[in-house]
Amino acid sequence: MNSTPRAFDAKALRKTVLDMAYAGSTVHIGCAFSIIELLAVLYRSHLRYPGNDPLAQGRDYLVLSKGHGVMAQYACMRELGWLKDEAFSGYFADGSDLKGLSDSRIPGLEVTSGSLGHGFSVGVGLAKGASLRGADQKVYALVGDGEINEGPVWEGALFAAHHCLNNFMVIVDENGYQAMGRTADVLGLGSVQSKFESFGFEALTVDGHDEMAINDAINRLWESPSASPKALVARTVKGKGVPFMENNNIWHYTRLDAETYARALSAVAGSE
Amino acid sequence: MRDAFSEALVRLAKADPNVLLLTGDHGYALFDEFRKECPAQYINAGIAEQNMVGMAAGLARIGFRPFVYGLSAFVPVRVVEQIKLDVAHDQLPVVFIGDGAGFVYSHLGTSHQSTEDIACTRAIPNLSVFSPADRFEVKACMELAYQSKSAVYLRMGKSDRGDVHSALDQPKIGELLEARSGTNGDVAFIATGALVRTALNIASELYPDSAVWSVPFIKPVDSEQVVNICRKVKALVVFEEHSILGGLGSMIAEIASEHAPVRILRVGVRDRFSHYCGTYEYLLKEHGLDRASIEKDIRAFLPAN
Repeated sequence: MNSTPRAFDAKALRKTVLDMAYAGSTVHIGCAFSIIELLAVLYRSHLRYPGNDPLAQGRDYLVLSKGHGVMAQYACMRELGWLKDEAFSGYFADGSDLKGLSDSRIPGLEVTSGSLGHGFSVGVGLAKGASLRGADQKVYALVGDGEINEGPVWEGALFAAHHCLNNFMVIVDENGYQAMGRTADVLGLGSVQSKFESFGFEALTVDGHDEMAINDAINRLWESPSASPKALVARTVKGKGVPFMENNNIWHYTRLDAETYARALSAVAGSE
Repeated sequence: MRDAFSEALVRLAKADPNVLLLTGDHGYALFDEFRKECPAQYINAGIAEQNMVGMAAGLARIGFRPFVYGLSAFVPVRVVEQIKLDVAHDQLPVVFIGDGAGFVYSHLGTSHQSTEDIACTRAIPNLSVFSPADRFEVKACMELAYQSKSAVYLRMGKSDRGDVHSALDQPKIGELLEARSGTNGDVAFIATGALVRTALNIASELYPDSAVWSVPFIKPVDSEQVVNICRKVKALVVFEEHSILGGLGSMIAEIASEHAPVRILRVGVRDRFSHYCGTYEYLLKEHGLDRASIEKDIRAFLPAN
């Protein structure tokens, strides 16, 4: 466990994302905002980094398969002291190393993602490895609902269930949107929970912005004695926390200007 | 050659319990020995190559040494992006074995034939490309791939064409191996994989003074050695059971053109798929890679005396 409890306050994390998105004049704000509470709960209460070392042997693994949400993870890594403030004010400056998508050369990011459907399989490999070693390590793969259009996710799901990887949990950020529109309109997924259940996972669906509910669901899944891998389907809102961004897919692509930045900051400061 | 591969893999796995074999449901009889000797190190990942490579990356991250086996048409070609992003980008020690490269599956058609794999893998940073010609080279390549602790694609082509060396001291990665010494400054032959045998046959009968070099290491290669070979001859013939675009012939021509320009005939697949099926020998002939066709091309290429 982390030695010092940290807040991982959702408002503060969203503010950090807005600050860096504005500093870097970058996109993908909506994808980061849908996973803020999920990451807050994981980092606060579940992920174990011995000595607060992002590269510690025996650590748990958080694989951000939906690399587009990486700003939310950067915000958490800042709270852990793994990233310096300059990395945020200088986001996207020439020669800087925090990219717009997850790059595993940054300690704390476990995979290089952004091309979708990769991290899930890497996570299954990590879980298989921990299981072969008999190590008490847990692996979380955070995927987008759009991302699970990708075939390798389902190849990996078959493998995880066949090999009884009950140290593996996929968390689906079900925000209902992908790059070009609603997931239901682009390539309908039906019930994500039922799909994972039919692949042999033990699955729950929660409100992905209710931290208590997320925490309870993760605990319930791990406490289950079953040998099945776990799936947590988190119903989320793309752009959550800023009303003019919520469920508005243009914020997958739009950059903040001074006016939208100020409005977003005040919305985040006032949001519950 | 396949026995040498299997023996090398079993030896490595017995010596290091972190060695794992992942297969995409291929290698039915090939892995009998491995499954018997090291059952806990054997993972059949199913017919799911993309996931298999991603998992290999995860296993390598947590300290294992995965050897990922598939047919060359699938590993590496089907999974080029997983190799690039999940493995090579982070310099993870995963060895990819692409079996049946070239026209081994001569009756099965394009899906199982693999003549683009070297071109696909050569351009990926941090990834080495090995292409052994006989059992000695396979053994050396397996050993070096393991020792290198980095990402390697090992291409296995037609495996029953006999040895090209009578013995082999452990080579260095990148070294071109002299399969036949030569004194002739007119032409030397450079070949890889199954076509080293062809180059040797042609040299010994028609160009007895020409050297034949086998190239088990397409990347990295000792370019100084290539330059020295280029400087000693007026012309080179490069043989590969692979496209002339992006493979060994391209690699030699790239080095030669920068440092030691020399005329080069690239013998290989001329940017086309197979139209017909038949024996391996028939397919080579369809692609102009049988002995008679190659000899004709060499005669046309070399200036008449």
